[in-house]
Amino acid sequence: MSPHLSLQSVSYCYEEGGPQAVRDFTLDISQGEFVALLGHNGSGKSTVAKLLNGLYTPSAGHVLVSGMDTRDPKHTWEIRKRCGMVFQNPDNQIVATMVREDVAFGLENIGVPTQQMPGLIEQALKSVNMTAFATRAPHLLSGGQKQRVAIAGILAMQPEALVLDEATAMLDPSGREEVFETVQRLNKEQGITVVWITHFMEEAARCGRIAVMYKGELVMDGTPKEVFSQVQRVRDYRLDVPPMTRLAQMLINQGITLPADILTPDEMRREVLRLAHQA
Amino acid sequence: MPIKLENLSHTYQAGSPFQATAIQDISLEILDGELLALIGHTGSGKSTLAQHLNGLLQPTQGRVLLDGKDINAKDTDKRAVRFQVGLVFQYPEQQLFEETVKKDIAFGPRNMGLSEQEIDSRVREAMDKIGLPYDEISEKSPFELSGGQMRRVALAGVLAMKPRILVLDEPTAGLDPRARDFLLKDVEQLHKGGTTVVMISHSMDDVARLATRIAVLEKGNLDMVGSPQEVFSRVEHLTKMGLDVPQASKLRYLLLQEGLELPDCYLLDDLSASLAKYLKGGAAVVG
Repeated sequence: MSPHLSLQSVSYCYEEGGPQAVRDFTLDISQGEFVALLGHNGSGKSTVAKLLNGLYTPSAGHVLVSGMDTRDPKHTWEIRKRCGMVFQNPDNQIVATMVREDVAFGLENIGVPTQQMPGLIEQALKSVNMTAFATRAPHLLSGGQKQRVAIAGILAMQPEALVLDEATAMLDPSGREEVFETVQRLNKEQGITVVWITHFMEEAARCGRIAVMYKGELVMDGTPKEVFSQVQRVRDYRLDVPPMTRLAQMLINQGITLPADILTPDEMRREVLRLAHQA
Repeated sequence: MPIKLENLSHTYQAGSPFQATAIQDISLEILDGELLALIGHTGSGKSTLAQHLNGLLQPTQGRVLLDGKDINAKDTDKRAVRFQVGLVFQYPEQQLFEETVKKDIAFGPRNMGLSEQEIDSRVREAMDKIGLPYDEISEKSPFELSGGQMRRVALAGVLAMKPRILVLDEPTAGLDPRARDFLLKDVEQLHKGGTTVVMISHSMDDVARLATRIAVLEKGNLDMVGSPQEVFSRVEHLTKMGLDVPQASKLRYLLLQEGLELPDCYLLDDLSASLAKYLKGGAAVVG
């Protein structure tokens, strides 16, 4: 089966002859994958996100969405419909004065017949647990709720992939959890492919796969355990590892035998208890 | 004490149908030289409280005293208060506006009516304090810089006014791990250099690393004030409020549930030391 999202030796310059924001980037993502895209500020993550749904077209190389080349203008609308984007600031994504109307915005744009809208909107709001808020004013919602409305607006268009560009950066911990869990559920239950861009390493640790960018290039690609167990390398790329991975490293340095790829407090608890019982 | 809040309340749009009480009857002292972290759920009143500290918002009820004097009294020089209490908003880089980094940082000191010579020395000093290379970037446009550097330029603009008290509203939000680490080190240095710091943060690991005292806000009320040790030992209480706890506190709590009691701690370094000691000692699990 051909990959769902495919970046093939992609480079991108914002100005002709200017520096390459993305350089020779190759990555295949299968249908239903949940991929975290990490990288320092300015590493090119957001550029990749915008290349994925044809907001930008590559200066060199090709981006394919379900086999459709983003360079081909006749695919543009189909690609945007299939690959939805959520941005960082919830307030910049709200256009209507009522949640339901906000969700309808995308549908209107792609010319969905009016009589089909209510069903799609209802389904989308249900998917993000916002049904009860359908007639509320979006600006009075919490940050996490606003982001869920933004996601519903995309879901109504029945996309196959979601690209979220730091969708949790401006939220508090409970709002972050709310949005992450929603997206995780959509990925599991509806098989939607997810590209999750974040600076929170704990979130990346919960994704199925991590791709790391550094100065425009793809420098690491693997499972969270494969990536985060390389503590020094991850740090050299100006990122960090989850606190529990750091703790594992500290204990290993003190002569304790532990796996280097522990990611969460739960895993660490199990390892500590195992060691304690062994002794 | 530099700042004392007495029974402070603030109601937005009082008397209108949109009336909302953001903070209620808060009494709190900010001590000289401390680094006080303000934590709480979104909407708990942290930013509202912070904006009272330099008189940007005026209390609906209660008083804010700076060195014993009511900052909202008629005869108080408000400008002088703002030079003493520097407030750095969320995403402060959005407020950069000048053509060059140097001019942007000089904006505050220029407003203070200082001489050109003094302004220049303050700009250099502020940049030096937070590790921004003067020769390299002072003539650049602030908009050419990286996100992390822009944030530090905005911070330098406040530091150039030499505030005694620095109030930071989520200083690391949106930064990548390296930039966050740099910024926290800057804050740590400023605090060590004698500046009193009030820092709002959602990142409990950042708070654990820097704070000397923590105030927890819940729905506009002051829920508790205490040392990091005292506050972070109440894992269940904080979790119930929808707050995080530092990862070290979380692991210690999980182990405690299994009957393994390690010394109270909230920093990874301390936990690593006591865990290593425990595991090397080979003692059986308690209970």
